[in-house]
Amino acid sequence: MPPSAGAIPAARVPGSAPLALRVVCGVVGLLFAAPLGYLAWRTLTGDESLASLYTSGTTLVPLRNTLVLAATTAASTAVVGTALAWLTTRTDLPLRRLWAVLAALPLVFPSFVGALALLAAVGPGGLLDGPLGWVGVSPSRPEGFAGAWLVLTLFTTPYVLLPVSARLAALPPSLEESARLLGRRPAAVFATVVWPQVRGAVGAGSLLVFLYALSDFGVVVLLRYDTLTRVIYTNRALDRDRSVALSLLLAVLALAVVAGERTLARRHPPVEGVRGRRSLQVPLGHWRWPAVALVAAWVAVALGGPLASLGLWAWRGFTGEGSSLASGSGGLGDLVEPAANTVGIGLVTAVVAVAVVLPLAYLSARHRARAGDVATGLVASGFALPGLVIALAVVFWSVQLPPGWGLYQSFVMLVFAYVVHLGVQSLRAAQVAVGSVPRRLDESARMLGAGRARRFATVDLPLMVPGLAAGGGLVLLSTMKELPITLLTAPTGFETLATRIWADAEAVFLAEAALASVVLVALSGALTWLLVVRRSDRLA
Amino acid sequence: MRVRHTMVGALAVLTLGAPALAGCGSDGDRLVVYSGRTENLIKPLLDDFAAESGIGIDVRYDDSANLALLIDEEGDASPADVFISQSPGAVGYLDAAGRLAALSEDIVGMVPEGDAAADGGWVGVSGRVRTLVYNTDLVDAADLPPSVLDLTAPRYAGQVALAPTNGSFQDFVTVLRDQLGDDEAAAWLEGMAAGDPPTFSDNTAIVEAVSRGEVPMGLVNHYYAFRAKAEDPGLPIENHYFPDGDLGSTLLVTGASVIAGSDLDDEAEQLIEFLLGAEAQRYFSDETFEYPLVAGATVNPALPPFDEISATRVDLDELGGGLERTTEMIDESGLNR
Repeated sequence: MPPSAGAIPAARVPGSAPLALRVVCGVVGLLFAAPLGYLAWRTLTGDESLASLYTSGTTLVPLRNTLVLAATTAASTAVVGTALAWLTTRTDLPLRRLWAVLAALPLVFPSFVGALALLAAVGPGGLLDGPLGWVGVSPSRPEGFAGAWLVLTLFTTPYVLLPVSARLAALPPSLEESARLLGRRPAAVFATVVWPQVRGAVGAGSLLVFLYALSDFGVVVLLRYDTLTRVIYTNRALDRDRSVALSLLLAVLALAVVAGERTLARRHPPVEGVRGRRSLQVPLGHWRWPAVALVAAWVAVALGGPLASLGLWAWRGFTGEGSSLASGSGGLGDLVEPAANTVGIGLVTAVVAVAVVLPLAYLSARHRARAGDVATGLVASGFALPGLVIALAVVFWSVQLPPGWGLYQSFVMLVFAYVVHLGVQSLRAAQVAVGSVPRRLDESARMLGAGRARRFATVDLPLMVPGLAAGGGLVLLSTMKELPITLLTAPTGFETLATRIWADAEAVFLAEAALASVVLVALSGALTWLLVVRRSDRLA
Repeated sequence: MRVRHTMVGALAVLTLGAPALAGCGSDGDRLVVYSGRTENLIKPLLDDFAAESGIGIDVRYDDSANLALLIDEEGDASPADVFISQSPGAVGYLDAAGRLAALSEDIVGMVPEGDAAADGGWVGVSGRVRTLVYNTDLVDAADLPPSVLDLTAPRYAGQVALAPTNGSFQDFVTVLRDQLGDDEAAAWLEGMAAGDPPTFSDNTAIVEAVSRGEVPMGLVNHYYAFRAKAEDPGLPIENHYFPDGDLGSTLLVTGASVIAGSDLDDEAEQLIEFLLGAEAQRYFSDETFEYPLVAGATVNPALPPFDEISATRVDLDELGGGLERTTEMIDESGLNR
């Protein structure tokens, strides 16, 4: 069945983008080029010879490892994330809404503490060592490529899960129902009806995973897999020119990958969706309990594993003699202000990110302008770079501004840095959302005399909300755990839960770090429920 | 409709709430400190200083190397007046970049020669030694080697956790190079790599893994075991100090410095003098389990007397310049693969 069957392909309107939209997109694209411009300038003025650096074995081996890790993680998360999304939105899986929230939460562990806690749960001598020993299994430490791939897959699957869930929630169930009534088997229904409609969201999510894997440092260092980010971090204060030149390489990689992804996306135009009045529930039949077991096992490892270690550390702190938690200082009361800061800055960043990328989404998804693809690449490059590099780039540009503006180390600068780093998470979701708005509706509204602003508010926006909320939700969760940008560019004295976790973990106050981590996970869970899952459910 | 209410609400937070979130901005009269030591390990002292001197302080915390990069990137516009570095490498980087003001001779003279930069760019305020942390359930103390150089023996292969990307480990390797020459240092690194040791991102992760029994031993700085046991006294870990001035017990100091171009340089020097004063030196000894550096300060009785274990003081001027080659050698040894 061709992808267009039963759904209306989005109209191509090349070259029809209004001038104002093009100008706005030009400005936004320029802002997102800040890190690339910084890296290019530093590389040009540094004395690293690019030709010899990029061809030396000490670059090529980590480069190959980086690409292998990113590609395999993107593939595995695409499979797992799509399966989890389908099970939790489209079936009669018991407690499916609860699973939908829990499965999204592994995203919120800051990678430095998440990987450490996971290792403490499943590694040798860890929490699971005893129980596994009774059944004759002794865990070996996840390490190297396999370990890094496994841990990254566990932590980044929500990047696929959330956009695909949002997409599924916005799709009409009628096609699937018809196919089932015609006797198609579930696998055939998925392949011919569901897949063509979610392909864009799966691609968008996997792209985020790919970019995240390019930039991750915490996991690969702990699991000893030699990637470009390790070289960048290790040399950052010793051989800065080398770190800068390799960061530039990461950014260029991101541009190339996005170019490839856009080309593929053009081959499969987005499929518009009209929401049905009720959501479809595929009966799982005798697969019901095996499916629950699978979902539960995934959540147990990805979320339960790290949480169990964190819980153990926190409990030790409350019960251990002489620990600061037991003596009453550094408890939950101290976390109120960081928690409020975390939620506040996360919400602001999510809203700003969605607002900033929406024009780009229109330009590339509705008007299908090449310039939109270029801007998409620039936005994506911000996520492929380690947060430290983004922070230094924003500092570099900010100190060129007149000090009288008072922007340096202000909230404006902090939110700007966050959006440059994380904006692509909302952009790809926004592109899928814009692409799914039927042009026909917009045309009808126009013929009835509705102006552009009114059409946007009354026709497009309500249809796009699940997708935009999913994208904003990703930005929200990522901002809440973000560390290097917060430490370097936030107003002095501004504390978030992530900075608190880092400070405690650095000083081996594992109990305090664990307590703050548990608060972070709980807050993120509540927000995911309120803003993403409940909303897309209600609107579906 | 509901959606728009949410949007409006969030935008209200943006325009109204964000400025209110700012607890304290940095203004011109307040001393701005960039600290590579985490809050738990320095804030009580900074608060005491602020109370005694009446000088307001704003502190930005991060990893020492990241703060050094930040100060370098900020250039003349840097709001920082004082930089406290946990790692000798980071403060050495800024000194080499000409970003530090020379401290007065009175201040530099308060610590033994070698615990401050020769050009007066920074001064050490406290120190920790390198050590071998081990799991007492898995390792018999009698089996521990007298020298860090013995760890390449086959019986220790794969038994000792390392943090090859961590600043402290890199500083230690630089000391090996300085004292033994590059060939012997490279041979030690390759000997360790041959045993395929488990590696971690930092000291905290190593101490956690050793407590858990994943790996019997690990090369770390000495005070992590003290802090971990303060939280959970039952943890089966102890430090093994390599005796008699072994390179394995090298001292690494925390450096304090004044940023070049600071308009509060007098106040900045006052703070550094305070960190070298009796109260602060006692704090480092009693509360953070470190070695105080000023002559006459008492060492925590839980620690072995400095003279018994460590004769090696790192020549930090060497450290600043030679670190680039150190990381290359660590890469070449295969420890990162």
